[in-house]
Parts: sequence; structure tokens; C-alpha cells
Amino acid sequence: MALRLAPWGLGTLVAFLALGPALGPGLVLRYDMVFVPDLSLRAVLTGADGFPRAIPSDAVVAALSVVLPGHVVQGLVLAAVFVLGVAGAFRLFTGLVYGKGTVPLAGLAAGAVAGTAYVWNPFVAERLLLGQWAVLLGYAGSPWVLAGVVRMASLRPTRGFAGVVCALVPAAIGGFSSVLLSALTAGPTALRRWRDAGLLLLALLLLSSPWLIPSLVSGAATDPAGVAAFAARSDTPFGAFGSLLLLGGVWNAGAVPPGYGEPLTAALRALVVTVALLGWVWWWRRARPVVAVGLSVSAALGLVIALTGVIAPGPLAALIDLWPGFGPLRDGQLYVAPLALLQSLGLGAIVLWVLRALPETTSAEGPPVPGMRRMVTVVVLGLSPVVVLPGLSWGAGGGLAPVEYPPAWRGAQVAVSADERPGAVLVLPWSAYRGPDWSGEPVVVLDPATRLFDRRTLWNDDLRVGTPDGGTVVVTGEDLRARRTAESLDIDPETAMPRIEPAELPELLGSMGVRYVAVSAPVDHGLSDTDGLSPVVEGSDMALFEVDDEYVEATPESVSVPVVTGALTSLGTVVWAVFTVARREPRHGDPVGGSTAGN
Amino acid sequence: MIKVIAACVIGAALAGGATVVATNLATESTATAEPVNETLYNYGDR
Repeated sequence: MALRLAPWGLGTLVAFLALGPALGPGLVLRYDMVFVPDLSLRAVLTGADGFPRAIPSDAVVAALSVVLPGHVVQGLVLAAVFVLGVAGAFRLFTGLVYGKGTVPLAGLAAGAVAGTAYVWNPFVAERLLLGQWAVLLGYAGSPWVLAGVVRMASLRPTRGFAGVVCALVPAAIGGFSSVLLSALTAGPTALRRWRDAGLLLLALLLLSSPWLIPSLVSGAATDPAGVAAFAARSDTPFGAFGSLLLLGGVWNAGAVPPGYGEPLTAALRALVVTVALLGWVWWWRRARPVVAVGLSVSAALGLVIALTGVIAPGPLAALIDLWPGFGPLRDGQLYVAPLALLQSLGLGAIVLWVLRALPETTSAEGPPVPGMRRMVTVVVLGLSPVVVLPGLSWGAGGGLAPVEYPPAWRGAQVAVSADERPGAVLVLPWSAYRGPDWSGEPVVVLDPATRLFDRRTLWNDDLRVGTPDGGTVVVTGEDLRARRTAESLDIDPETAMPRIEPAELPELLGSMGVRYVAVSAPVDHGLSDTDGLSPVVEGSDMALFEVDDEYVEATPESVSVPVVTGALTSLGTVVWAVFTVARREPRHGDPVGGSTAGN
Repeated sequence: MIKVIAACVIGAALAGGATVVATNLATESTATAEPVNETLYNYGDR
């Protein structure tokens, strides 16, 4: 039992080392990571126009927030990334090497190295610092999905399908990018048998329905300008390709962990990656693991996709212009995720090589007892991902520090939720990102006011990105109603505040269905003395104004049929799968052991 | 088992020392990486 719990224990330890203070009281705010107290499920489901990016991740957070405090929910989802990731890669490796047999100490050591390497790398650090916890949930679930796909070959179709559905739950929670990563990681391996590929595709479609069905009817467009903004970039001296090979290369400079990318740390990281790739090749030639071809194809394909925005931005932009469905390819670095899994398994294989402990190479009397020098080498190898990336430790070097919302923010939230009359909240200044003073260390974060209220918010979902040459790329947002609002209010690009006459504001806002105006930054808004706008909360960093009822023409927002259909389809599939997997059934010739995903 | 524990202690000490050295040297060296994109704030006072 203790050995079965080892992957989970190691995952918990790694989560604690990486997150540290982020697991304490308060909420961590950073770039896309926006958690608010008492996130409203209704607001998430009624959502915004455009691509439903917050579904189902925010819906799950909102549902959990009904029974748990917000900071506990955030701590759980962040820790889940590390625990699931470590345990998934650990068990995938030991399952592939030893099948259902007993895993010796050398195998446990190799599994532990593989698990640690899978979550302690620039990809995880950079996505974490970019606040993309939902993407990382899918990343953490990928080894489980791959294991589930491999195990389908030894199970009845129903049972195998149910196992893959269970393994896909983290990706399903993460949303569209997470599902894409899982498909890329496990798809080529599933293609070994058409039946498995078909079942994987069916599982992916069913679990994608919460965001797939609404997106098909939303008519959302994707701005091709995002290709330039989100293309992979060099964050080491080795250029874009080298950076991606080392699992870095994120588009945003603010997401590079402290100390990473300097010549020395980058060179050390390159050394670890080289050893890992050599380990993969050695393992492939020596033992021919069942995922060897499939995962190699996944990693190569992912690397090509990651480089597309760098080497062929024009054709990629043209593709996105042709069909918005290609939009997810803009953020290229995302697709090195399968390479991360390949490298972590390769590093685990190197441990077996050092210990001369690969089952096929052992003598009839069992593996030789390793000497002290070899064991020390294994420990150093196991810790090498941490050694070359210390910037991920303890809240990513201070980048993930929890904060408390100021009283004015909570006051505004309570005031709006106490009002049952319909009407949206307009969030000003008309800018997506903030650098709130109250968050302690200066950090850019998506305006938390966009999630604070229990109703529809209108905010500027355009993204402005600085480029290396000092220019700015504006990636147009997807919320059509928000865009119409900006046009009506004649937003000043300098101040991001409305330019129309204050006297006209209440009537205009009311006609657009706006009941409240939230000013979520310390700016000179000039709204306090406007007739037709009543101050509800006036703090230095949050001011809330109510549009007089006589002006407001609003109808209650309702959850759309596509959202309900998608959510029920996905939920029903998961419930069925859990019950199916829970029924015990004998298996034969299981190639990845009996303790992997879905069981 | 004593051998395994001893190997873990020695290995962890070596790795820990390497981490400290790597961190110190990295912070003292000059960055040569290509500048990359940054998300901007875009309202007036920042």
C-alpha cells in the first residue's frame, strides 16, 4: 500500500515545494489566473459572447466555491496540477516498464524521476506564471490519457472507453486547450488501432461539449493578429527552436521564471534535456515501449506546430482568417507538452540505465545491487530538473503570492449580488489587464472585476501586447456586445474612459442594459457627480455606481440551451464512465499495469 | 537500506549545492536572451 501511495506522496511534496505560499490564505492573482471570493456559477454560465474560454474551468471553480472557501479551491486546483502530473508520469513509466508486475526499488526511483521531471520544467513554470492553471490541468492529465489509450488494447471497448473518459476529466475541466493537448499527446498512439482512435475521438468530443457546442453557435471570430503576439519566442540564448526544445519559449517575458534563460542555467537545462532524449532513444531501442512511436510522433508534431508561428506566421494567419477553428494554434509553445512527457520518461529510463535495472537486461538471479556511486548519480539525476530551474520553487520565486481583496471590492460584490433586478455591470477603465496596487508585488492580472459580480459584465476583452521592437499588437476580443458598448461610449484610448458627455451617460448605459458601473482602478473617473448615477461604493481602488432605474432597459440573462446541453452531455458521460470503471473486471496482458489512469 | 539513505543524503547535498551555485551565477551573469513580448496595461495612469 505504501508503495502504491508513493506517486501521490511525491506529487504532494513537489506541489508544496513549487507552490509554497500560494497554498496559504488569500487568492493568487497573476495574468490569466483570476480567482475571486464566491465566484458566481450563474455569471459563469450566462457568460459572454464569443468563444466560451471560461467553461467549464470557471464553472467547476464556482461549483466548488459553494462548499469551500475560494482560497481552498484555488489551492486544490493548483496542487492538483502537480499531484496529478507527478503521479501520472510516475505510474505511466512504471506501468510501461513493469506492466502489472511488482515494481522494484530501482523502478520506483526511475518513476519518481520521471514524475518530478514532468512537472518541474520551464513549460509548467511559464504557464503557471502566465496564470493558465486550466491548461496545466490538462497537461497533468495527459499521462493518464496516454495510459488509458494504451490499456484500451487489453480491455473490452466499453471498459476501455470508460477508462479514457475518466482519464480525460482533468482536461475536460481545463477546457479547449487542455483537450487539444490530450488529443495531441495520446492521438498518435491511439492510431495504432482504428477502434481505439475512434473511441478516443468520441471521448474527446463528448467531454468537449460544454465549450464545443456553445462555440459552434456563437459565431466567434479569432483575430489573426494573435499569431504575431503569441508566437513562441526565445527565452534562452539558443533561439526559438532551442528554447522550445528545452520546453520554454513562452511568448510573454513576464512569465519566464526568475533566473531561467541566463546562459548558465540554460546550458544546464540543455544538458538535462540531452540526457533525457538519450534516455528515450536508449529505452526505445532496448525495450521498445508501446508508446515509443506514438509519443515520438506527438512530440515531433507538437514541436512543428509550436514553430509554425515563428517560421510561417503568414500562412498561419491566413489559416485562422479562413476558419477561426485554427485560432488555438496561435499560442505555439503550448504544443511542446508531449515533448515534456517524452523527456520525463527518457530521464526515468536513464535512471534504469544507470542502475542497470531494466527488466530485460537483468540476470535470472535478479538485478545487481547498485553501488553507492550509482545511487548518488540517480539522486542527482532525479533532482536535476529542480537544480536547473530553482525559479519554480516556493511560489515560483515569489511570483505566486496570495493577496486579500480590499474591503471596497467585497462591498461592491455584496451590493450587486443583493440586487435582484436584471442589468449588466460595465467595468472601467476600458482595459482588460490591471496592475493593482493592493496586490503587493506589482503584477499584471486580468481585471478581477470581470469575474467579481454575479451577473454579466461588459469589459474590454481586447489584448494589447508589446513587441520586441517597441510596438504594440492589439488582438481584438471576441465579445461583440462589449465591442458595441465601446463604440457607443466613445472610449478614449489614452485614458480608457468614456468620452461622451456625462449627462448622456445614464441614458446610454441604461439603453445598453447596464445597471452598474464598476471602476476597478485608481483613476480619475469623474462619475461621482453625474446625474443619473448613484454612488454605491467609493473606494480608492474600486468605485461602484448604480444607473438610476428609470433608465435601465434590461432583461434577465438566462443560461443558453447549448451551454446546458453541453454541460449535461459531458457530466452524464463522466458519471457513466466512473460507474463503469468502478465495476471490477479481470484484464489480460495489461501493458501499463493495473494501477494507471481510470482505475 | 542504510546505503540507500546515505546515497540520498549525499545526492541531495550535491544537488542542493549545485542549485545554490547555479542560482548565484545566474543572477550575476548578463542576460543575452532576445527580448520577448509583455502584456501591457493600457489605461492612462500606468
